[in-house]
Amino acid sequence: MDERTLAFINLHAVLGGLSKLCELDGECQKLIEGKDIAIGITVKGGPEATIRFSGGACTVTPGVDKCDIKLPFSSCKKFNGLIDGTVTPIPSKGFTKIGFLLHEFTALTDKLTAYLRPAEGALDDPEFFRVSTTVMFHLILDAIAQIGNEDKVGRASASYIVNGDIRMGIEGGPEGFIHARDHVLTAVHTPCEHPTSYMIFASMRDARDLFDGKVNGVVCVGTGKVRMGGMISMVDNVNRILDRVSMYLA
Amino acid sequence: MRKVYEYPKSRAAFERACKLIPSGIYGHQGPAEGCYVPVEAFPLYSSRAQGSYLWDLDGNKFIDYMAAYGPNVLGYNDPDVDEAAARQRAISDCTTLPNPVMVDFADLLVETVACADWAFFAKNGNDVTTCAVMTARAYTHRKKIVFFKGYYHGVSPWTQKIDYAGILEEDVQNNLYVTWNDFDELQEVFEKNKGQIACVIAQPYMHGNFADNELPAEGFWKKVRKLCDDTGTVLIIDDVRAGFRLDIAGSDHYFGFKADLICFCKALANGYNVSALCGRDFLKNAVSSLSFTGSYWMSAVPFAAGIACIQKMKRLNCPQLLIDKGTKLKNGLIATALKYGYDLHVSGVPSLFYLRIADDPTLMLHQEWIAECVKRGVFFTNHHNHFINASLTDEDIEDTLEIADEAFMVVKDRHS
Repeated sequence: MDERTLAFINLHAVLGGLSKLCELDGECQKLIEGKDIAIGITVKGGPEATIRFSGGACTVTPGVDKCDIKLPFSSCKKFNGLIDGTVTPIPSKGFTKIGFLLHEFTALTDKLTAYLRPAEGALDDPEFFRVSTTVMFHLILDAIAQIGNEDKVGRASASYIVNGDIRMGIEGGPEGFIHARDHVLTAVHTPCEHPTSYMIFASMRDARDLFDGKVNGVVCVGTGKVRMGGMISMVDNVNRILDRVSMYLA
Repeated sequence: MRKVYEYPKSRAAFERACKLIPSGIYGHQGPAEGCYVPVEAFPLYSSRAQGSYLWDLDGNKFIDYMAAYGPNVLGYNDPDVDEAAARQRAISDCTTLPNPVMVDFADLLVETVACADWAFFAKNGNDVTTCAVMTARAYTHRKKIVFFKGYYHGVSPWTQKIDYAGILEEDVQNNLYVTWNDFDELQEVFEKNKGQIACVIAQPYMHGNFADNELPAEGFWKKVRKLCDDTGTVLIIDDVRAGFRLDIAGSDHYFGFKADLICFCKALANGYNVSALCGRDFLKNAVSSLSFTGSYWMSAVPFAAGIACIQKMKRLNCPQLLIDKGTKLKNGLIATALKYGYDLHVSGVPSLFYLRIADDPTLMLHQEWIAECVKRGVFFTNHHNHFINASLTDEDIEDTLEIADEAFMVVKDRHS
């Protein structure tokens, strides 16, 4: 597993998941209500992005030019340590706003962890199940793009993906797509208007079982729990990247 | 209007299989790799087969244009091949010492295949492509293999790609990839890897998936042949898929050059389980030096079947017969598509034609049409080349065109 790729996933997909979380979870919405603050994360030899909380929403954008708090990390490994809880960040800018980092931001990331690594029985609550699966779906979409662009083997898969949009979605649930252009992948979190190919899960439960590795994707295609079509070579290659998503996020 | 098929028994069998067999049906004959879109349009299991026809578990009859993905070249249960096999079975099959029918089969292949001075037998196409690459490496003492992008040469790790499950970077680190028909790129790769390339392995023309099949450009093979000669590189033709459907003497012969090694399987014995690597004399010692064998590789029944199959293919002038039948079907399908305003591309050599409706680059329209054909009794697949067999009749072709017509009509209505 490549630390640099993991750093890209951790910043853009895992912390990127805060965006959907703040949209879907009432408690998280309250935590960011009335806030206008931006946290810049910069990783030496790795990714950089700004997580902005403003107007009751959270957005993650590349670059750290306009941030209130800056968290620099000396290596990808150090940043990955933040995500797995072994490294404490030290801001280089925004000491006066550190309260947000210590309280609201920590509460948000704790909540995110709760949804991504649910406690036993937590998924029995239908609303928790819905939010958790939706957040996970969008996180996976982002992770596909990061792995396809950064990981050596993932780039090989992306090199076989022709230009176009791979629609991904769950019947009665979230939708999004991977936009491929010259073998560079971008995750888009809105419904796809003109898919070149598609991979649709028949239900939230089927999607969840696949995400959790309880069922096999090839079997699901045979049983109709996963629908694929269009330029299937794109879906094939996205599936190869998906194998690596589970490796990185394990 | 034709009856629209349903497959409850196939689906029930598949549900049962999923509990017992990884993927239910794994590989190219399964619904995922076989690109069954939508999966409900396709039968999953057969109950019997005869000639050009296949019956599924639900009793639905299909004109089968996949021919078991190639092996069925004369027609399912061909009486001459089956009789030869039965005769041999009564004598011996899998025994401690091989039966001399093996020598007879080798003799016939050497007589038939233009580049063959010897024959080595195994079971599957992958066995002989692997044997060919090992032979090239043993002979040249070099590591690297040149592939043409879009290739398929089997399932051993060396044939797969770095991102496939279970494949290590080390498995494919000696693989070099070149664009089909791009001789300049090939030359450049040779220049960059001087003295390191053991072999070039290629199908006689590009029959990759998701795109029209592409014949060799004028003079391409002659230039490749010369480059291999000039650099001491072994030229391997993987004729597993196309073998005996273009030319009884081998597809290299069809395209006017001579391979060093040529791999056969599918059409070799009309469904009996045997594959063959044939080659030129200078490589015979290298093959002999390999440690490469298998429990059933010298079974006599498939050899007897192979002899009968090749003899019958010769009697029928089978490759031309298949090309003629394929051409008739191709022309009919194109005209039928045109009637509804669709631009159906039928590419490759007509005996193993590839279909694509070119009006929709996403291929979704194509998938809809294929599904409607299958549901009415013509077994086409979405993104693999098809295979003509010798038992296909003019009536079958007419029937196919009628079904194709109805399928186009259904698709047209849906989108108008």
